[in-house]
Amino acid sequence: MPQFQQQASWRLEGGGQVIDLETAVKDGILGGGEGGGDLPAGKDGSFGASAEKLDLKKMIEELDSAAEEDVPSVFICPISLEPMVDPVTLCTGQTYERVHILKWFSLGHLTCPTTMQELWDDAVTPNQTLHQLIHAWFSQRYLRLKKRSEDVQGRTAELVKSLRKVKGQARVQALKDLQKILAAHPAVKKTVADSGGVALLSSLLGPFTSHAVGSEVIAILVNLSLDSDARANLMQPAKISLMVDMLNEGTIDTKINCTRFIEMLMEEKSFRSEVVTRLSLLVALLRLVKDKRHPNGIVAGLSLLKSICFHEQVRSLIVSIGAVPQLVELLPNLTPECLELALHILDDLSTIAGGCSALKDCAQTIPNAVRLLMRVSEACTQYALSILWAVCKLAPDECAPLAVEAGLAAKLLLVIQSSYSPELKQRAAELLKLCSLNYTTTLFISKCKLTRTIQ
Amino acid sequence: MISMLYFVVESMGSFCSRQQPLNEVDSDENIQAAEIDRRIAQETKTEQHIHKLLLLGAGESGKSTIFKQIRLLFQTGFDEAELRSYTSVIHANVYQTIKILYDGAKELAENEPNSLKYVVRTDNKEIGEKLSEIGSRMDSPCLTKEIAKEIATLWNDTAIQETYSHGNILQVPDCAQYFMENLERFSEVNYIPTKEDVLHARVRTTGVVEIQFSPVGESRKSGEVYRLYDVGGQRNERRKWIHLFEGVTSVIFCAAISEYDQMLFEDDTKNRMMETKELFEWVLKQSCFEKSSFMLFLNKFDIFEKKVHRVPLNVCEWFKDYQPMGSGKQEVEHAYEFVKKKFEELYFQNSKPDCVDRAFKIYRTTALDQKLIKKTFKLVDETLRRRNLIEAGLL
Repeated sequence: MPQFQQQASWRLEGGGQVIDLETAVKDGILGGGEGGGDLPAGKDGSFGASAEKLDLKKMIEELDSAAEEDVPSVFICPISLEPMVDPVTLCTGQTYERVHILKWFSLGHLTCPTTMQELWDDAVTPNQTLHQLIHAWFSQRYLRLKKRSEDVQGRTAELVKSLRKVKGQARVQALKDLQKILAAHPAVKKTVADSGGVALLSSLLGPFTSHAVGSEVIAILVNLSLDSDARANLMQPAKISLMVDMLNEGTIDTKINCTRFIEMLMEEKSFRSEVVTRLSLLVALLRLVKDKRHPNGIVAGLSLLKSICFHEQVRSLIVSIGAVPQLVELLPNLTPECLELALHILDDLSTIAGGCSALKDCAQTIPNAVRLLMRVSEACTQYALSILWAVCKLAPDECAPLAVEAGLAAKLLLVIQSSYSPELKQRAAELLKLCSLNYTTTLFISKCKLTRTIQ
Repeated sequence: MISMLYFVVESMGSFCSRQQPLNEVDSDENIQAAEIDRRIAQETKTEQHIHKLLLLGAGESGKSTIFKQIRLLFQTGFDEAELRSYTSVIHANVYQTIKILYDGAKELAENEPNSLKYVVRTDNKEIGEKLSEIGSRMDSPCLTKEIAKEIATLWNDTAIQETYSHGNILQVPDCAQYFMENLERFSEVNYIPTKEDVLHARVRTTGVVEIQFSPVGESRKSGEVYRLYDVGGQRNERRKWIHLFEGVTSVIFCAAISEYDQMLFEDDTKNRMMETKELFEWVLKQSCFEKSSFMLFLNKFDIFEKKVHRVPLNVCEWFKDYQPMGSGKQEVEHAYEFVKKKFEELYFQNSKPDCVDRAFKIYRTTALDQKLIKKTFKLVDETLRRRNLIEAGLL
């Protein structure tokens, strides 16, 4: 590569500004970008030699993924619309990526693609100037990106180190700073893990952790990916107690973080259901689920409740806090996603005697469940049907008529005629039979008609 | 402005009193009445900003120790005069302790199957009888060096040691060891009790005591004022006065979890943990505490830690479904979690549905450890402040 002299200037068309390469890249027509970031200058002001070491292609790729700034249009090849790595100029004065223009020629065209002129000379001249400019522009931004990301990593490592030492308000502030960096630069998660951040953060959670510290730690941990050991460590009773307390007392964001965090811990193999067999946790979740002001909270709470319900031992505890009537009463106002979760929970609870009788005792169960058949999704219909089945099986004389009055028969016919799974249709048919037992045929058929309310 | 008004009223009063035409007397009284009303209104307003905390719990659950700790942490602590006043208390405690141990040894020697290990050595018997007699007096004599030596000798008797390790069926106080270990110091001529000594000293609380304080530290600016009430823990007629505490900000219920194998002082057929359970249930049901937060201090954790390995939790009827998991520190944690869950269950079973928003938190405490109490209280303070913000709709 020929040496580049900094004093070289040239006239630009339509501008008349005399500029040098460095200025052009830094502040001039090619855009300077934010902040400083000087090009590494060689001893005699030339940067050609050292900068060359940075592979242009690689830089283009990385900057492309960072996607911070638009590449100046003069650097773009008209054929590929990509930045040019090896620009060559034709006799018409237009510049293209060498590979692409040669391909164009090989296809038999001897014209300039943009001007459509016939070429009187098929030579392609490497455009050194443009190449230098492209390289310089990309180098500058690349180095700046690298510096910033190193900065961020450095700052993160510093913050983690400081967390080992500071206490009180300073600790809360350091945690807040760490969280901000993580939110802005997700790639930094690795640095946190490498500098022992995860273990450190875990150790900050204990029986004497203040709410301020605890809520920040959870906000950070919930976004990191934790390995098995870390998760096992976090399942210690004292730490879980702290999370439950924060679930009870925190802001809605803290509550959601804790909920999601516990759900994540539940996925761990070594998880034992005693960890979540806590009245205070279940009561807190129920409260979260009923809080209409925060739909995010409802989803998170229902999701965790569903995961907990999976463990049979906990189901009776959930029933004992009055979850069943409270969930049933919520049903009409839930979004489809939440409905599926809530119905799944109620279905799980119906498998135990206490749950089933609680469902039966709640006046809204049957009307709500009937209304939800064939309304939202196959899964919802399946759960609703299962609940109705359990309740009617438990007390057929009491519940079947109620269900039929609520329009169950017509809905069941719809299910049977639907394209849902055969098991579901079979169930529906059985339930229909069960309900028809107390009615004469004609009376029952009249109940099967769709009434206006159901329509 | 109030003080100015006061001054005006006063000066008016002194002016008018010399030549007071009849029709001006009334307006004077009116002004004074208005002033009194203003004062009352102002004080009521200030009262509302004071958070009232009520310490409840069975006898010897550690309430008074926590009370003393708060004094040491947030007030000026004990001055020398007050420290001195504890000297006689501590001496009395020493006599009471050794008496209980000696009498207990005699009792065990008569009733227990392998009674021989409770039989005191012959040459110690005389000391034992003498000390037992002293301990039963209302006013105990000062603890002299000679008596201290005798007590130490008796304490080191194997029979007494054996009795001490089976102290649960007797009424051996938990701080027996502390007293016995410091005998020499206590018997010094110019002995002034240290803070530590005062914390260990045992005086039965009668009536109600209260202190007002502001937690110092990071919340200094917020100017929170707390008033802490300590009431006696014994059974008599609680229901008559409990409603006087209606509307306290928070009830701090102390339960000594190390007591699961001990009997009551008032009734030695009743297990102490069962008594605590019943008391907690009773307190939860009181309508006067419907709006109060509940802070449960599971106290005497240090003793609990050691006892769990020796005495299984199942000896207490309430804990009969406990299954030990392992040993060492993990076992302690496991046992503690079990006890905690039991209390939680009790809380939710006895709270009416509309009290669901009441704050309820459980803390593990060792009332004698000042650092721990300070940390615990910081958390309590944080919880109560957050509660305030939540109630004001700011969180």
